[in-house]
Amino acid sequence: MAPPHRTPLRGISDQRSRTAGPTRRTLLAGVAALGALGAAGCSRVATASDVKGGDLLGRLQAQGVARLGIAGEIPFGYIDKNGELTGEAPELAKVIFKRLGVDRVQPVPTEFGSLIPGLASQQFDVVAAGMYINADRCEQVIFSDPDYQMLDAYIVRKGNPLGLHNYRDVVKKKAKFATGTGYAEIAYAVEHGYKEDDILIVPDQVAGLNAVESGRVDVFAGTALTVREVVKKSSKAEATEPFAPLVGGKPHVDGGGFAFRPDETNLRDAFNVELQKLKKSGELLRILKPFGFTEEEMTDLTAKELCGG
Amino acid sequence: MKWDWSAVSDFMPHFWDGLLVTLQILVLGSLVSFGLGLVWALLMRVPSRWVTWPIGVVTEFVRNTPLLVQLFFLFYVLPEWNITFSALTTGVVAIGLHYSTYTMQVYRAGIEGVPVGQWEAATALNLPLRRTWTAIILPQAIRRVVPALGNYVISMLKDTPLLMAITVLEMLGEARLFSQQNFQFTEPLTVIGVAFIIISYLASLALRALERRLVH
Repeated sequence: MAPPHRTPLRGISDQRSRTAGPTRRTLLAGVAALGALGAAGCSRVATASDVKGGDLLGRLQAQGVARLGIAGEIPFGYIDKNGELTGEAPELAKVIFKRLGVDRVQPVPTEFGSLIPGLASQQFDVVAAGMYINADRCEQVIFSDPDYQMLDAYIVRKGNPLGLHNYRDVVKKKAKFATGTGYAEIAYAVEHGYKEDDILIVPDQVAGLNAVESGRVDVFAGTALTVREVVKKSSKAEATEPFAPLVGGKPHVDGGGFAFRPDETNLRDAFNVELQKLKKSGELLRILKPFGFTEEEMTDLTAKELCGG
Repeated sequence: MKWDWSAVSDFMPHFWDGLLVTLQILVLGSLVSFGLGLVWALLMRVPSRWVTWPIGVVTEFVRNTPLLVQLFFLFYVLPEWNITFSALTTGVVAIGLHYSTYTMQVYRAGIEGVPVGQWEAATALNLPLRRTWTAIILPQAIRRVVPALGNYVISMLKDTPLLMAITVLEMLGEARLFSQQNFQFTEPLTVIGVAFIIISYLASLALRALERRLVH
């Protein structure tokens, strides 16, 4: 009985679907197809090669260009007034990559806090932002040896009315504290007993300066060099003397280097070899000097020591 | 792609903080935009070019510049003239002001939609101007435009993440902060995406119910 009924019924529904434009089902199928297309597109981007330690260096040599992640932070990595990529890390990267057979470097500016995620998602090949090497970050990326060492400093209002010279002062005076997204200084403040929820996180050091000048916070923490550079343009704020934050009760000197994806050890090792040569010959200081670095910032620390954490 | 439920549970406390801020912005921003929009709409009906012209220029300017630029301006430039508000206040003022220039047009349409006969009747009854507005015109005008105003509330909800740019930790701000500290993006962003769908869907249901009550 059933079959004879079914045929005319199907005939009707076929007719309707032909005349009524896209039905809900075809729409859904279309969306699913688009999704599948997207997934296929994604899987085509190779995240890691089969070669042990990665073949990124080979690929960069073939392309002749390496993409550097920078955070727009003077003097570490920024675009200057003429629109040129400069800063200690990009300048150093230019020299080292040239020696590795990669002729050009191309900047990819982003926020500091997006550097490691951007590296992981292949938006650039190396982080060249003078990033501090610390235990948290070493879990996500691998670092070259540091090319400089650095102390912290604060931006405070002119005359330092609250007398803030280190993290203990900040906690004791209950000063309003700000630092940048993803900065190592967040952890230092928390280590000294500052409540993490009370920290104001600003996008970069210029926003930090603005926050201090406008009285939204009392202090912004950054690296001694960044802070010194950014307050140059300010009439309402000043930089404190550089100091070493305490980590585990001991003064801690930070070192900054270049970050690579964890599976690209070959590139990192080749990079380190050239970096060591520059250190030995004293060329490193010559490259970094225009950016305010001195003999004091030169370091023999290794990435391993700084990762130790 | 990896999905990590523990990241979701780690993120949830931050999510609730962010949700609270988002709803605060939405409620306060709506009140500002509804109130200010009505003020603009009424001022535009004052029969003097000396009033309508400046108001027209200002609101046209606000409506035709991006909200993000306005946020940056209010947050980073006003302090140069020693006018400093907290980030949240700045955000509420900016979003409220921005949307008030849209709601004023909604009110205008509502007021113009009140039949001429109502005006004539008010005149015939010799009602004073104030009573004509509060008892005759506005109750009818506002009733007509509630659905349109509601659409702007939902639109405003979807603009609240812009406040992240001026350090307000609403849902997206919390998600990004969490992501940058834990290097996990998928889970927190998915959670807030779902939250946005749920909130705007609930809001549209509430609106439809309100609309039905007002019409009948």
